[in-house]
Amino acid sequence: MKKAIKVAFFGLISMAFVGSAIADITFVSWGGAYTASQQKAYIDTYDKGSSITVENYNGGLGEIKAQVEAGNVTWDVVDVLPDQAITGCDEGLFVKVDQSEFINDMVVPPVSDCVVPQIFWAYTAFYDKAAFPGKKPKNIKDFFDVKKFPGKRGIHTWANALIEMALVADGVKASKVYEVMSTPEGIDRAFAKLDTIKDHVVFWSAGSKPLELVSSGEVVMALAYNGRIGAAILSEGKNFEYIWDATVLEQEYLVAIKGGNEKEALEFMAHASTAESNAEQAKYIPYGPMRKSSINIIKKGEPWFITDSGNIDILPHMPTTPKVLKRAVIGDPVWWADNGAEVSERFGAWKGN
Amino acid sequence: MNQTQTSTGPILTTDGIPLKVSLKKAERINKIRAFLLVLPLLAFILITFLVPIGDMLSRSVDDRQINTVFPKTFEVYQKWDRQGLPSEEVYKTMFFEVKNSEGYNIGKASTRMNYSKSGWKSLLKKSKRKFKKIEEGPYKEQMIAIDKKWGDIEYWKALGQMVDPTTMGYYLNAVDLKYDSNKEIVQQKENRRIYNKTWIKTFKVSLLVTLFCLLLGYPISYLLATLPMKYSNLLMICVLLPFWTSLLVRTVAWMVMLQQKGVLNNLLVMSNLLADENRFQLMYNQTAVVIVMTQILLPFMVLPLYSVMKTISPTYMRAALNLGASPIHAFYKIYMPNSVPGVSAGCLLVFIIAIGYYITPELVGGKDGQMVGNWIAYHLKTTLNWGLCASLGAILLAMMTVLYWAYNKIVGIENIKLG
Repeated sequence: MKKAIKVAFFGLISMAFVGSAIADITFVSWGGAYTASQQKAYIDTYDKGSSITVENYNGGLGEIKAQVEAGNVTWDVVDVLPDQAITGCDEGLFVKVDQSEFINDMVVPPVSDCVVPQIFWAYTAFYDKAAFPGKKPKNIKDFFDVKKFPGKRGIHTWANALIEMALVADGVKASKVYEVMSTPEGIDRAFAKLDTIKDHVVFWSAGSKPLELVSSGEVVMALAYNGRIGAAILSEGKNFEYIWDATVLEQEYLVAIKGGNEKEALEFMAHASTAESNAEQAKYIPYGPMRKSSINIIKKGEPWFITDSGNIDILPHMPTTPKVLKRAVIGDPVWWADNGAEVSERFGAWKGN
Repeated sequence: MNQTQTSTGPILTTDGIPLKVSLKKAERINKIRAFLLVLPLLAFILITFLVPIGDMLSRSVDDRQINTVFPKTFEVYQKWDRQGLPSEEVYKTMFFEVKNSEGYNIGKASTRMNYSKSGWKSLLKKSKRKFKKIEEGPYKEQMIAIDKKWGDIEYWKALGQMVDPTTMGYYLNAVDLKYDSNKEIVQQKENRRIYNKTWIKTFKVSLLVTLFCLLLGYPISYLLATLPMKYSNLLMICVLLPFWTSLLVRTVAWMVMLQQKGVLNNLLVMSNLLADENRFQLMYNQTAVVIVMTQILLPFMVLPLYSVMKTISPTYMRAALNLGASPIHAFYKIYMPNSVPGVSAGCLLVFIIAIGYYITPELVGGKDGQMVGNWIAYHLKTTLNWGLCASLGAILLAMMTVLYWAYNKIVGIENIKLG
């Protein structure tokens, strides 16, 4: 009897060792429709043996830094914003990756040595068509014009993109925005413009909130992540309309956390950054792939976006089409990595006063 | 007793050892046993409570992360008179320390330097890349040619704030002060002053929440303590059910209730008490924070109050009434003083929980309902300025300690009772 237990015990231990030859991965992203698209495009199609657990977070490097400093890394692959990709790579929180696979196939060069490409997403203004039976808002000036279009505006609780949009609404050319922002007067000007809507704003911090605010009529217009708007229109049949003006284009990357299951993480990241995978994600959420060849795959494959009632053309919902890009601001993560803290504190003071 | 002992000598046990020693010996084993029993708890408290607090306090003044990266530069920097640009020697030392730095030191240092002056981060990153191509001096001109920020005296002056291994900078930052480029303490620029207002707001909200909890909780607890069992049990369940419900669920339920097109406003409009365009703005502001936090923290007031009131014998009140006091007078003279320990415990408990609250202000606070906790979370996650987080946390801790001390002086800590 005792022997049998012993055998079973060692059997279990050895099984545990065999099992851990391929470590499991914890994949951390932003939740909602976005994570769902990654699940379908990258995780469900992954067959290298690692089983993948998905967790959500709200951005920021705080948790990652804490894990690395404590030597207790539980996250392996994380979906990060470009300025965090820069800081995290500089501070040694992320693993450096081999970028030769995609470096020549990128719409913009990658921001650091630690990233593999995901998608372009954008801060876009939108409204519910029902809220404006007559004249409809057409550009960012209208968003900042509470006389012409009365009603509350939903904006996010941090400064990124708001400064850019305010400046464009104040007459700065989209391509010159960061030049203006690099002067103190430029920042003053942006805040002066923000002052004009201050008494008419509702703040949101979770990506699903602006959709709720506009749907319920709490606000008449809001800024949101374009993919969330697109998913609401395409999958939920919402009557939303984009205002494709001064759209602020942001990049999104995957990184592997130092001290996690690095080997498996890098393997998964290689899979999640192929041109095919990046294009695949656009079947489920209207974000623009960062690889040039992915866009060609989509063009050839239209109607690309999968819904319950048949497929739909995705390109009209993409933030990276020439029509949108012409009026868009390409977000500058280096500027934000430098000035983010200072501007954010000022933005906090603006919010609180 | 003592006298008899000294006069007759120490009492001995049967084997000739003084009773005192023998007792001590027997007790020692008991003491050790007792100590061993609490040891796990002691270790637990030490590891999960004292060590993190100690770590937080040291982080709030620690400025070593940069000193270890530029030791030589800081040495020659001390000789600079702060008039005009530093000498070639300073530039040269800086150049080599940037160029030869290994690993992630520069990255970590640049994050810290960016707190003192925005722009250091990209300057160092760019310089590190471009310095590789520079082989020989003079370095000053070449560095300025790479980025004109190297020729900006403000950047050099900002370095001076970081020379010491410890800094009060984070604490200054936490109360809207800062070091200027000559290391004098000055007020933060007006449009960046946020923390003092946030401190006041945090205090105000916590006080209001405590007050409302007391106003609402006192009658409830009174009823709970005095009603017959079958009714009071039902009432107790009404208090406890929300207490057991998730904080998030309750917060979101309030959002549904109070928003402009929410239940409350809709009811008022439907019953014609309110015009459609005058809907109350009850959500995403400070009012919302106070309302929601009051509801969430109410059980923390009711439970200690109840447990104290339960022990107040009804005969006291009856006696007072019997002796001719009016009900109000009797309540004021007899019941209230007896319930003070519960009131103190409840108020202290609610206030302490409220002052560090984070999730509810985050969700319903909107633009003017953000408290200190929200700024700590922001710097913890987004700017990675953990020094500032630590100093904000340390100030909170200090405030609570002062409050506790003041409370002890005024009311006396022995007057606190949780049951």
